[in-house]
Amino acid sequence: MKTRLPFGFVIAASLLILFILLPVFVTFFSTTLEQLLETITDKDVAHSIGLTFLAGGIATSLGLLFGLPLAYILSRGNFPGKSLLMGIVDLPLIIPHTAAGIALLLVFGRMGIIGGLLGKLGVYFTDSLGGIVVGMMFVSLPLLINSSREAFSSVDIELEHSARMDGAGAWQVFWRITLPLAWQGVLSGAITMWARGISEFGAVVILAYSPKIIPVLIYERFQGFGLSSAIPVAALLLIVVLILFALLRWLARSANSS
Amino acid sequence: MLVAFCLSACAPKQKTPLVVFAAGSLIQPFDEIEKAFEKNYPDIDVQAEYHGSIQVIRHVTELHEPIDLVASADQALMPMLMYQVNIPGTNQPYANWHIKMATNSLAIAYHADSKYSSEINPENWWEILSRPDVKVGLSDPRFDAVGYRQLMVFSLAQKIYQNPNIFTNFLKDQFTHPIRLIDMGDMQIIRIPEVLETTRESHIMMRGSNVALISLLEAGEVDYTFEYESVIQQHGFKMLKLPDNLNLGKPDMDTEYGTVTVKMDFQRFASVEPIFKGEQIIYGLTIPTNAPHPEQAMQFIEFLYSPEGQAIMEKNAHPLLLPAVISGEANLPERLRKYFQ
Repeated sequence: MKTRLPFGFVIAASLLILFILLPVFVTFFSTTLEQLLETITDKDVAHSIGLTFLAGGIATSLGLLFGLPLAYILSRGNFPGKSLLMGIVDLPLIIPHTAAGIALLLVFGRMGIIGGLLGKLGVYFTDSLGGIVVGMMFVSLPLLINSSREAFSSVDIELEHSARMDGAGAWQVFWRITLPLAWQGVLSGAITMWARGISEFGAVVILAYSPKIIPVLIYERFQGFGLSSAIPVAALLLIVVLILFALLRWLARSANSS
Repeated sequence: MLVAFCLSACAPKQKTPLVVFAAGSLIQPFDEIEKAFEKNYPDIDVQAEYHGSIQVIRHVTELHEPIDLVASADQALMPMLMYQVNIPGTNQPYANWHIKMATNSLAIAYHADSKYSSEINPENWWEILSRPDVKVGLSDPRFDAVGYRQLMVFSLAQKIYQNPNIFTNFLKDQFTHPIRLIDMGDMQIIRIPEVLETTRESHIMMRGSNVALISLLEAGEVDYTFEYESVIQQHGFKMLKLPDNLNLGKPDMDTEYGTVTVKMDFQRFASVEPIFKGEQIIYGLTIPTNAPHPEQAMQFIEFLYSPEGQAIMEKNAHPLLLPAVISGEANLPERLRKYFQ
């Protein structure tokens, strides 16, 4: 039997979809093709987009490297303080991003615990790629870890057990059994982390105003040069991100169905 | 909609908002003025925002925000960007009078841990600030008065210290698109490119306004930054005072200060080409012609010039310029006339 939905739900849902799509469409149609072309050929915009995607990529890679072990521990381990640990993972979600930026500045700044040490080696986080990566990573990590933890949890633990009985080591079980079965959830977590990372403004702008990532550049143009200067950049970014996002989603889906 | 309705209507008592846009360097005294003013006028809610001085005016003239009171760190911006520009659909300018409110002087702020802080003095600061391992703050000269004034100081310093490389040594290779100094003998012109971004190895840290640089100085991210003397005193930083012929703070030195001009290499404003000429730092205060609450704005000005308001400004090392000088005096609102005669 066909599921019958309350009519009110359909209206509520449609309004919400409109709420998401309307600003996106209005931004597109507020810019002309000519402005868009001009923006595409703007060296500073291209450079900024490249920098933003690169920093998001590095943040996500680091997130995978350190976050997958944590997600696996949280999914399989049973130990006291586990829920506390899960709470800590969620912490960046509730900290206002400007506050996160200040907290990161205190640790990664020139006088910070980590920033001060690495500064002696000539590695600086303020106004540098490192600061951008740190800012993006901090605010977006929970998305990857939570999605991966759920993906690991959905893998049948019996499969792992039988592999262990067949003599596979813990590392082999993870690498050969769990990860291949969970990878769709992991990838989707990585995509959301990357997308969240590249859209970060508050935490990044405090650590690194320059080199300017796209959200900072859009803000600077809006503040300094007006709406007409900011819209084409925002529209271009929306287009690029939508294409990439659709591509990645499609990749994840086709990998799943094959 | 229900929420929006509630937010606007369910508030216990309607207060009249008074929107104040002021230069970042006024944040501390104006914050105190705001609190004292609201205590005296409980039915007015002061909503203050602080930006670089050019930004403050742009919010009125280009972003068309409803603003009741504007205070800029450079009074010359008001005739240039507000008197000359008409409100769309009218033949009225955005402003046609302003009060020359206060003065200030430029100085160098630093702290005990700043590199070479034991060496720096009024004779060698320009050399120390040009060292590649010294981090120096610069507020964006496209948006903020401290920014273009700091560049003026480096240009004026060339004559005073008789060294033609001071400007270049400080700024060379620091930006992806260079800031250029054109020396025409008795006149210097500084040209600012449209895209201003520091290079990766730059020892200059640029921010949208000087307020942001204060935090970076506190965090130890910059060793030195140019700042108004009032702000340095408010924050208790170490201060290197600049000589009078450099600090842009003396009333009788405009001929010397005026040898340098800052120009933007691009069309920044719809109808005017901004040129910043070196002159004494004087803050400007005005009520835009299209202010939604001019009466409340006048009450604020009255309070600022009352003994209580004056005392707050003085306490914050930023005394009002008295007696106040009015520009466009014929247009000063009737109500304020009795205070400024």
